[in-house]
Amino acid sequence: MNPFILTAIQAVTVLALAPFATGLVRWCKARLQGRKGASPLLPYVSYATLLKKEMVISPVASWVFHVAPFVVLASSVFATLALPLVASDGAFAGLGNFILIASTLSLGSVFLVLGGLDPGSAFGGMGSSRELTLAALVEPSVIAVFAAFSVVSGGSTVSQMLAAAGMGVLAHPGLFLTLIGFVFVLLAENARYPVDNPATHLELTMVHEAMVLEYSGPYLAMLEYASSLKLTLFSLLLANFVLPAPLASTGAGPAMALAAVLGAVAKVGVAAALLALLESSMAKMRFYRMQEYMTIAFLAAFGGLVLVLV
Amino acid sequence: MPFMLSGITISLIGVLVAGALPLVWRNLAGHRAAQAVLAIAAACGAFASIAFLAAGTGPSTVFAPASIPALRFEINGLSAVFLAIVNAVACLCAIFAFRYVEKYRQVYDMPSLDLGVALFIFGMQAVLLSTSVISFMLFWEMMSLSSFVLVMADRQAASRKAALLYFGMAQFGAAAILAGFFLISGGKPLADFAAIAGMAAALPPAKITLAFILFFLGFGSKAGLVPLHIWLPEAHPQAPSHVSALMSSAMLKIAVYGFLLATTSLLPPLASGFGLSVVIVGLVTAVFGIVHASVEHDIKRAIAWHSIENLGLIFAMLGISMFAARNGMPLLSEIGLAAALFHAINHAIFKSGLFLSTGVIMSQIHTRDIEEMGGMAKRMPYFTAAICALTLSGAALPPFGTFYDEWLFVQGLVGHLAGSGPIVLAVLLSTLAVVAFCGGLAVFAMTKLFALPCLGQPRSEEAAHMKEPPASMNGPILFFAAAGLLAGVFSARILRTIGFADLIHADTFLSVATPKGSVAPMAAFALMAAVILGLVAARRVLGQRRIRTYHTWDCGQPITPRMEYTATAFSAPIRFFFRSIVGIRKTVVVTQTGSGPLLVKREMTLTGRSFWLSRVYEPLALAMHKLGDNARRIQSGSIQLYLLFILIALGATLLIAV
Repeated sequence: MNPFILTAIQAVTVLALAPFATGLVRWCKARLQGRKGASPLLPYVSYATLLKKEMVISPVASWVFHVAPFVVLASSVFATLALPLVASDGAFAGLGNFILIASTLSLGSVFLVLGGLDPGSAFGGMGSSRELTLAALVEPSVIAVFAAFSVVSGGSTVSQMLAAAGMGVLAHPGLFLTLIGFVFVLLAENARYPVDNPATHLELTMVHEAMVLEYSGPYLAMLEYASSLKLTLFSLLLANFVLPAPLASTGAGPAMALAAVLGAVAKVGVAAALLALLESSMAKMRFYRMQEYMTIAFLAAFGGLVLVLV
Repeated sequence: MPFMLSGITISLIGVLVAGALPLVWRNLAGHRAAQAVLAIAAACGAFASIAFLAAGTGPSTVFAPASIPALRFEINGLSAVFLAIVNAVACLCAIFAFRYVEKYRQVYDMPSLDLGVALFIFGMQAVLLSTSVISFMLFWEMMSLSSFVLVMADRQAASRKAALLYFGMAQFGAAAILAGFFLISGGKPLADFAAIAGMAAALPPAKITLAFILFFLGFGSKAGLVPLHIWLPEAHPQAPSHVSALMSSAMLKIAVYGFLLATTSLLPPLASGFGLSVVIVGLVTAVFGIVHASVEHDIKRAIAWHSIENLGLIFAMLGISMFAARNGMPLLSEIGLAAALFHAINHAIFKSGLFLSTGVIMSQIHTRDIEEMGGMAKRMPYFTAAICALTLSGAALPPFGTFYDEWLFVQGLVGHLAGSGPIVLAVLLSTLAVVAFCGGLAVFAMTKLFALPCLGQPRSEEAAHMKEPPASMNGPILFFAAAGLLAGVFSARILRTIGFADLIHADTFLSVATPKGSVAPMAAFALMAAVILGLVAARRVLGQRRIRTYHTWDCGQPITPRMEYTATAFSAPIRFFFRSIVGIRKTVVVTQTGSGPLLVKREMTLTGRSFWLSRVYEPLALAMHKLGDNARRIQSGSIQLYLLFILIALGATLLIAV
């Protein structure tokens, strides 16, 4: 199959699946907590509604406020195009270098922070300060996680890491530790428990929600969608690291592509259920204990890297 | 070929002319003429050095007076890179100074400031071209002394204090370098570098070690490596902003050049322990620099601390390069060197832009405290767009040039992990971890540097009335911002030009390649740009476009700038997590103000005590004092005793000399 078609299939699948992932986590959490829960399809409706609403923008806000949603969403879309989520060798797989992807996602975080600070509210500043601290501290773990996969597979793009023979969690026992590190990274990067409470309405505990507090209408839709997309691609990436199949590729036919799309839906479903279980079984950590969390994340990731090397 | 060399000669003469002009023409017109001449001369030099690099020819003599062979000037591939940096930065700083210095006519004595800047630039150019000990040291001192004078150009007490500290460190460094040269050359000041390299090859290892330590101390103190960095965050902020830009972007690079000259062309190949010590010092410097840069709220000091981090990284890259060369990894050695040189270029670009921006900010609000700033993005969109690009470049994020040099380094380290021995592995892994740690904090420090002064509501009356600077001041800053971006997009071409063609794959997009992994900067930029344009186009057709303006959510009472997060609050988590490194103590004073126990006034002060200052320099100073006090005891006043001392001193001197 043509790599461009593969990338198109992947982009459409992941972009379409993103709101569902967020909705599904919320629904699973509600069920686990004994509530009935809103339909997992609710985010589609809420994003569409937001798109139709007028925007309320503070007179304090500058050009940064208008640029931020585009850069934030673009960084997630860039990663969606370049990472092997549904197809292992899409047209932009060569740009899936792990450092490039990690830094592009940080670029998105930086603009989210800037958007949070621009209207000059105290809550935005609080959320921004916390988000930026987390983004800064999680960086070494990200590099260590991917370096371990890079060492085992001998490649530097995520596609090469998955494509190497016999990849998956059993390729090397050390990778198990690396995957634990990756889960820590996933939770921190996506503002989930125990780092952040995605459902909070108390400003003092917010991280992500405090930054988008001043956004409304289409911009809010873009930012919410970007965070859904980031959650989806991290879930798919984790799932693919555990089980790099079924993935569409240039050598395989349309049947494989269909299997890969269905596989992606299933992976997102399992990941959402596990995430909901995790979030229902633990409390949020105090922010000033985050260095402990980050240290554990780094030790797990770094330990994995050391294990695969010796 | 000759036109490049004459271009460099023209730049040298032009810089001196620019220094002399304001002395005879002591008014504003003289200043402007001098800056115009300086800008043209430096532009000439920059283009000539880039043309020299692009042509890829070997070392060429620029200028060789027949009567004084020690003053022969020569350009080679390495010095051309640094000469291009110095000249390009000098050119744009001159354009900036055209109007900037004018705003400070009451503060600075313009003719002497212009002369100082010209001598400073000339000194840096000449150090790069020198081929003998005497001319290297002469122009090195010219660079140090003129910058020492420039630091105290505003004649404030704080500036004089900073300048004195700088002077002490610079002279200590120069003495160490001179001692290093003399140790190799056997005390011959006129020896040229080729002869010195020959003599060094015959030296015993102990002397090589000592010479290396002396060079490392000397060049390291100039580059601001820990623990000899204490002058840098004091001196750089006190200088006029275009001088700070020159000091940070150009002068620190001269130290890198000197170190490279000493280790690659003068000393014989060094054992891997030397490389390792450079890596360790570089990484420690980077950690201290970046943690301080993150918590600092004096805008120029924060940028100066960030320079310390960058220089630490450059030295870590050079150290890895030296270490890898001795451990059978020639490619990693090349990658380390390429990353260091490319980082030097990128750092020059964004750091000049940032220091010039602080000049614009301070000329309008007259403070360096970020707590007094805010809201600039609303008032000066072009200027803040440039700062945004410069800080993103400083944070090493794609698609800026700095990202690609750090990418090259990190990818090179990761690619060499598999299959190396335990010691090499430990070195590479720890370097990787520390570099990633600093990379994360650099994002924090740089984002803070942009966000707090530029976003939100203005935190002071002056900040509320800021406006775009004149084009001659905004232009250089915008140029640096664009250059940072272009350095990223065309990073493969730049690496090829500075002599690392084998790290480039000549495919459609010119990838930068390491043994295990490559990236195509242009393709990455194109895809990112396409995605953003696609989103903008989608926004044009999709969604509600109506906007209502309404104040920021205020919880029911009017929102004021005092409710905003301050720079101190913003960096509080970092200050808390790294309190052992920052050494900042919080003291809260509670005073009773009313009758009830709850009516109290709380005052919080943060006091910073640098680890090195309180644990290293102050005990050292105290010990010196004590020694001095004790030495007074032998001052008995009896002439016989003094005669005995003279005799002992004479005897000892003769003993050492013979």
